[in-house]
Amino acid sequence: MSTHHAVHGPTRRQTLLGLAAAGSVGALAACGGGDAGEDVSDKTKGAMEGYDVGQTFRATEPLTFTTLFSDHPNYPFNPDWLFWSALSETTNVSLEATIVPMSDYPQKRSLVVSAGDAPVIIPKTYPGEEAPFVASGVVLAVSDYTDLMPHYRQKVQEWGMETELETLLQDDGKYYVLPGLHENLWPDYTILMRTDLLEENGIPEPTTWDEFADALRALKAAYPDVIPFSDRYEGQNFLNQVGTGHGTVSGWGYGEGIVHDGDTFQFAAATPEHEDFVAYLNGLVAEGLMDPESFTQTDDQATQKLYTGQSFAISGNSQDPPKHRAAMDSSLGAGTYEIRKIVLPAGPAGNLVGGTRLENGIMISAAAAERDDFQALVQFVDWLWYSDEGREFAKWGVEGTTFTKDADGTRRLTPEVSYLDLNPEGTKDLQTEYGFMGGNFSYGGTTELLRSMMNEEEVAWQEAMASKEQVEPVPPHPYTAVEREQVTLLATPLKDYVAQGELQFALGQRDVAQYDAFVQELEGRGMSRYLDMVNQAAERV
Amino acid sequence: MVSAPTVDLSDVRAVPASTIKDSRGYRAFRVVNVVVLSLVVVVTMYPFVNILAQSLSSEAAINAGQVNVVPRGFNLQTYEVVMGDRAFWRGYANTVLYTVVGTAISMFLTTCFAYAVSRRHLKGRTFFITFAVFTMFFNGGLIPNYVLVTSLGLNNTIWAIVLPNAVSVFNLLVMKTFFEAMPEELEEAAAVDGLNTYGILLRIVLPLSKAVLATMTLFYAVTHWNAWFQAFLYLDRADMFPVTIYLRNMIAGVTTSTSMQATTESAGQVAANIQSVTMVLTVLPIVMVYPFIQKYFVSGVMLGSVKQ
Repeated sequence: MSTHHAVHGPTRRQTLLGLAAAGSVGALAACGGGDAGEDVSDKTKGAMEGYDVGQTFRATEPLTFTTLFSDHPNYPFNPDWLFWSALSETTNVSLEATIVPMSDYPQKRSLVVSAGDAPVIIPKTYPGEEAPFVASGVVLAVSDYTDLMPHYRQKVQEWGMETELETLLQDDGKYYVLPGLHENLWPDYTILMRTDLLEENGIPEPTTWDEFADALRALKAAYPDVIPFSDRYEGQNFLNQVGTGHGTVSGWGYGEGIVHDGDTFQFAAATPEHEDFVAYLNGLVAEGLMDPESFTQTDDQATQKLYTGQSFAISGNSQDPPKHRAAMDSSLGAGTYEIRKIVLPAGPAGNLVGGTRLENGIMISAAAAERDDFQALVQFVDWLWYSDEGREFAKWGVEGTTFTKDADGTRRLTPEVSYLDLNPEGTKDLQTEYGFMGGNFSYGGTTELLRSMMNEEEVAWQEAMASKEQVEPVPPHPYTAVEREQVTLLATPLKDYVAQGELQFALGQRDVAQYDAFVQELEGRGMSRYLDMVNQAAERV
Repeated sequence: MVSAPTVDLSDVRAVPASTIKDSRGYRAFRVVNVVVLSLVVVVTMYPFVNILAQSLSSEAAINAGQVNVVPRGFNLQTYEVVMGDRAFWRGYANTVLYTVVGTAISMFLTTCFAYAVSRRHLKGRTFFITFAVFTMFFNGGLIPNYVLVTSLGLNNTIWAIVLPNAVSVFNLLVMKTFFEAMPEELEEAAAVDGLNTYGILLRIVLPLSKAVLATMTLFYAVTHWNAWFQAFLYLDRADMFPVTIYLRNMIAGVTTSTSMQATTESAGQVAANIQSVTMVLTVLPIVMVYPFIQKYFVSGVMLGSVKQ
């Protein structure tokens, strides 16, 4: 299964920018290519000799690198952050940031990269987002230079990430984004339920999707006026999770709409598993267990129903329990309810969890390979994003200033520093006042580090989820630039039609008995031609 | 001697004006008119009132969906918080600067251009008008524009905001039509009295064109006040961002959960309460300009509707 992040339909403006980018790509296509990376053996200005795992990177002379910076409204960019000064103190590198509002980061990135005006470091790029820039040769084939990155190679090897990295390969057999690496899959989204009502009515916490339906049925019996499940995210999370459990893809997890049966690719919506999946959805809605508005209402409308006791279950992530509790304390009254994340139910296809261990990562401008300090740049990226030391620095900050470490390795924020519900008495926020734990520099890493900032409730949930089996990523099938456009033309209308069909079946506007006819309609929309292209591309690897 | 003819008006005077009855059709029209327009007013005002009410309510009340047009859980704290944010005021100052400078430049250029091409004796007049109109339908596109502005060295300066699109062709044409409608005899008389072209423009034409000038100023000022895209494209430094970018990032930056599964580090919505306070504070000044320009605005929007 493909990553969640890379696959959502682009907005209109993104599409326009994409087209604009594709135009310039065509004009510049002649520049790309070449088998090996450029010879950078003489680009050693500031680089450390014999830099290796466990070493702290420090440039031998002061260097400055430019970087794109996604500016988060909750902790807006501040040049006085300890992050910047501590970083240059440790590494002798100053970062010069181009500030881009987070709301429109992908657009600006597309613009500056296409215009050939990009900073050398381009962070917060999800795997897949790099694809439009590959053919024009404006971003670096980073896979050519991993020999300069000891920490990165070590993590890839130690955590066995090779198969996942293969999904990044382009048609020239290289990859162009350095992804964030997680030691283990990090699930976060699931269903939140009013556990007090489950207990009160003697309903066991559901462990499978069928039990989930049973639990809703029992709640419906106890509270006949209520539709117990009213979802948010326009149902996208629920579709994704239930789809995964049924061995198909949908919602946020739709990706390219394909599954691999070990032999060839299949169009997910044409499989019998998908039929079972829509039949399940249809059952929930038809029995009055799931609010039909789940697929259309805004998040605010959905949470309002939860807060006012008009629904008892909703999708969400680890940030939601505290948020919901704060709101429900005032709407329902503290102590009169209980809500938490349930362990993701299993489906007929197994106790599966979807997702990938690759996170958003970094592109490097192709122009960087011409710089005298190119080796130092790569070493710097390696240290900050892939060494344990760099990961801890980006997340927790400076030992002794923002956090302390016990003998057993437990980290604690210093008394004046606060972060979410860690040390709420602190007066200075780790993100807004110090610049750590920000989305540009802080992601990926060991499970130990990841959990070090979670509260106990979330750690318990993570541990319960750890026994689940991760869905295999679909095998690589890199397209050429021309193929990619053809594939987009075929796949986009198919995706829309599948999404529309799923809803019609779920809401009962169409009888599930007509599923075969639906598959025929998909065929009429070029499903086989699309699959042929995918399967051909897969043979290239 | 012939006495002055007298007209007996008593009959006319005896009929009070009020007895002239509106036809039934007209009365029905008035009722429908008032009803329809009232509906339009409600539909237009509701979002404003709703945002205003939210900005004065507690977050809990908003989350519970209790806030409609009346604030619940009255609170002014959010105003204090937002107004204490340095980034907000910095953006505000930038917006004011860009609006004032941008409007001045736009008005200067548009007026000069429009006046020149409104003179029928100008040689090559059709060429200049076609030149301007051409840009209404064709442009270089996003990336070429970006490359152009960057290579002119305008990036990260105020000029990148105020110079591109300084002349709105629509405004230019409206203004041209207005100037064309001015009697040529006026200018001829002024010329006879010894005024040159610039004197005529400054001392005769412009003083007679207050309505169109006020309207155009308002159009330009509102456009500059609301603009964020130019700033987003050409500015890389947070201390130069206008308040609209601050607002947009706050509202759109973290509410994309339906389109994207955000990671925990980057998620976290800005409270609805803070969003609405920022919206109120951002639109307030430009909303307050309207009543003062209203009288020009009404005559202004009619400009160009009739041509001599």
